[in-house]
Amino acid sequence: MEMLYHQFKRRVFGMAHRIVGATDAEEVAQEVFVRVFRGLAAFRGDSALSTWIYRLTVNASLSHLARRGRRQEVSDDNMPEVPATPEPERDPGLASRIQACLEQLPAGYRAILVLHDVEGLSHEECAAILECRVGTCKSQLHKARARMRDLLGPVGDRT
Amino acid sequence: MSCETIRAQLTAYLDGELEGDRGTPVRGHLRTCEACRQVATDEAALRDGLRALPPVDPPASLWAGVQAQLAAAEVRESQRPAWRRALSRWAPLAPRFGMALGALAAATVLLVWRAHRHDEAVQAPIAERDVVAPPPPAPAPPPPPVVVAPDGDVSAELAAEPARDTADVAQAAAKLLADARGEAAGWPADRKQVFEAHVAELQAAADAAAVGRPRQHAYRALIRYLQRAAIREEVALR
Repeated sequence: MEMLYHQFKRRVFGMAHRIVGATDAEEVAQEVFVRVFRGLAAFRGDSALSTWIYRLTVNASLSHLARRGRRQEVSDDNMPEVPATPEPERDPGLASRIQACLEQLPAGYRAILVLHDVEGLSHEECAAILECRVGTCKSQLHKARARMRDLLGPVGDRT
Repeated sequence: MSCETIRAQLTAYLDGELEGDRGTPVRGHLRTCEACRQVATDEAALRDGLRALPPVDPPASLWAGVQAQLAAAEVRESQRPAWRRALSRWAPLAPRFGMALGALAAATVLLVWRAHRHDEAVQAPIAERDVVAPPPPAPAPPPPPVVVAPDGDVSAELAAEPARDTADVAQAAAKLLADARGEAAGWPADRKQVFEAHVAELQAAADAAAVGRPRQHAYRALIRYLQRAAIREEVALR
């Protein structure tokens, strides 16, 4: 059991951290591991163990956000200004700005960005975790990145 | 290609999903369109930035928290009544049980339906089985004799079959009626009157029906009524 924990702790905690934020990440990760260990006997192996664990993580994170009632999330019609000033060339604060913008994204967009871009999972894996079609996954990623670009402002090389 | 079309493909292009010729229109457009090139640069930088986000290490307290929650869950579990524990053990199998039960129910319905059809085809044995006390059988019209032509032609025999079937059913009904009347002898007068009236009605319907299937059908209605009456009596006596 402990071996399984050590194998997945970084990814589970990392995903939860990116999706629900630093404050609640530990609580969500705990919930995920408890569900994993209690549900392991009933795991039927329909998907890879990692896919199952990541699905539990994403679902637990999204449920946590829903419970928390974070209605200040950005909706399609109400996009806030991003206070950070873009630094076109070398941007040492890019990581923290990305994390800040990530937290302003709608939860679904955040989940696909975290799975695909942060964790580097394939579209097929993302689709299995989010229980949607690969095409849906790709279009969600496209929209999520477009929203992030809008929130973040110019980040690329302007030369 | 318009900028809108190109931008819709930009994510796939930057992720290397547009192989070979499929990427050419996007590449060509980006060479000439400053605005789209900037969008592509921003998206690539964003993607790289996301991939380069520093990993977040879980706090040391996470494992302790997990263990504490598992222990608490075990304590809660032990305090639950045994039947609820058993239920939660079986709960994950509920969908499979549901499917198995569904299949079993479907098979049962099919068997009952087939048995019912078979019963209707051979009423006489059922009638004998269901009657409670068998009094001496009442005289019934004998079935018409089977006539087989000397040359082995069975068409005449086949033609006489509906009449024979009707006679069989009529015989079974008559036998059952005699048995049921024997039962009804002990009933209160008003109940016996209702019974006789219903029997007369069904008998008249059978007599009026055309020979063959309609008459067989009418006799079966009479048989069903007599069986029900006998079964009701049997149940009432318990």
